[in-house]
Amino acid sequence: MRVGAIRQATLICVVLFFIGGIGAAAAQTMSYAEAISQLATACGRDVARYCRGIPLSGELKNCLDGHASVLSPVCAQTRATVYDSISRRAAAQRNIGDICEPDIERLCGTSHADAHLIECLKMTSPSAISARCNQAFLDSGWRTERAQQ
Amino acid sequence: MKAHYLSAVAAIAFALVVTAALAQNRIGAGQMTNSLAAVSGDTRLDLTASQMRQAALDNIRNFPGNIPPRPLSFPQLENLAQFTVEVDFDFNSAVIKPSSYRTVGSIADALHNPILLGYGFLVIGHTDSVGGREYNIGLSQKRADAIVAALVDPFGVNPAVLQPVGLGEEQLRDPRHPTSGVNRRVQLINVGKKFCFGRTGEQFQCQ
Repeated sequence: MRVGAIRQATLICVVLFFIGGIGAAAAQTMSYAEAISQLATACGRDVARYCRGIPLSGELKNCLDGHASVLSPVCAQTRATVYDSISRRAAAQRNIGDICEPDIERLCGTSHADAHLIECLKMTSPSAISARCNQAFLDSGWRTERAQQ
Repeated sequence: MKAHYLSAVAAIAFALVVTAALAQNRIGAGQMTNSLAAVSGDTRLDLTASQMRQAALDNIRNFPGNIPPRPLSFPQLENLAQFTVEVDFDFNSAVIKPSSYRTVGSIADALHNPILLGYGFLVIGHTDSVGGREYNIGLSQKRADAIVAALVDPFGVNPAVLQPVGLGEEQLRDPRHPTSGVNRRVQLINVGKKFCFGRTGEQFQCQ
């Protein structure tokens, strides 16, 4: 009885751990280099077979989407993760100035997505910034970016 | 037995050399950012993309031959922050090979680095000497266009800061080996602050 309860608790813990892991993975975006090289590795053969001669620009995604039912499982899976990561990172980088404007104008004296803003966000405690702004900062990849000069 | 052993060692040594060569060839986003950020001042560049294209065509007319007898040069660009990478395309085509996807992704990472926001960049395509000179100008222009198109979609680089230019084989990197792969390359040059950002993030020309 007791052993059964422990087992059950362990099982729940494992399940929660996996759910948490998936959540954490979804919260991060990859660098563009990492994302697109994962696509090249997972989908290289599918590209050669179904999308030969299709440019890397938006058209490649359309071509892969159009062949979703025949792609190899690893390519189908990777394609979804990769394009999700790329579009979330691009949207965050594009919109961070607007998303963060309310709380950082006061803290940083700017809302432009420039090097100054990024440095200021890095120095500011995440608890002082709204959840939306924190998420955009994380998605942008700039939290960990080394802004060299 | 010993021969087997030696050939195995030789194979491993060869693999190591090849890996080292590949690693050297793979320049990362951090290095690209550093190369582009070494800004040489905010002097306004007195050279447009269409003037560069015209200069390449003039170079063919003024110095005819199978291989350019005199390389085209743009002294204004020489001291600007820049880097050069190799990008593989399908033969005689402007389609980027999957083996070069990572390189294009790294360029996108570099251009999105906050310290480079608002700068303008020339994206210059170069070919080797295989094929006619005028044809190669067209091919390299299409290749530079393809790189810019990929940087914009899916990687979200602002198209207003990118200017593609094809110079064909008019600036061979290794004129003594004009058909060598090192001549097929893409050059990114920081041409200076092009855009400023307003209070709400809207863009306007700095000048």
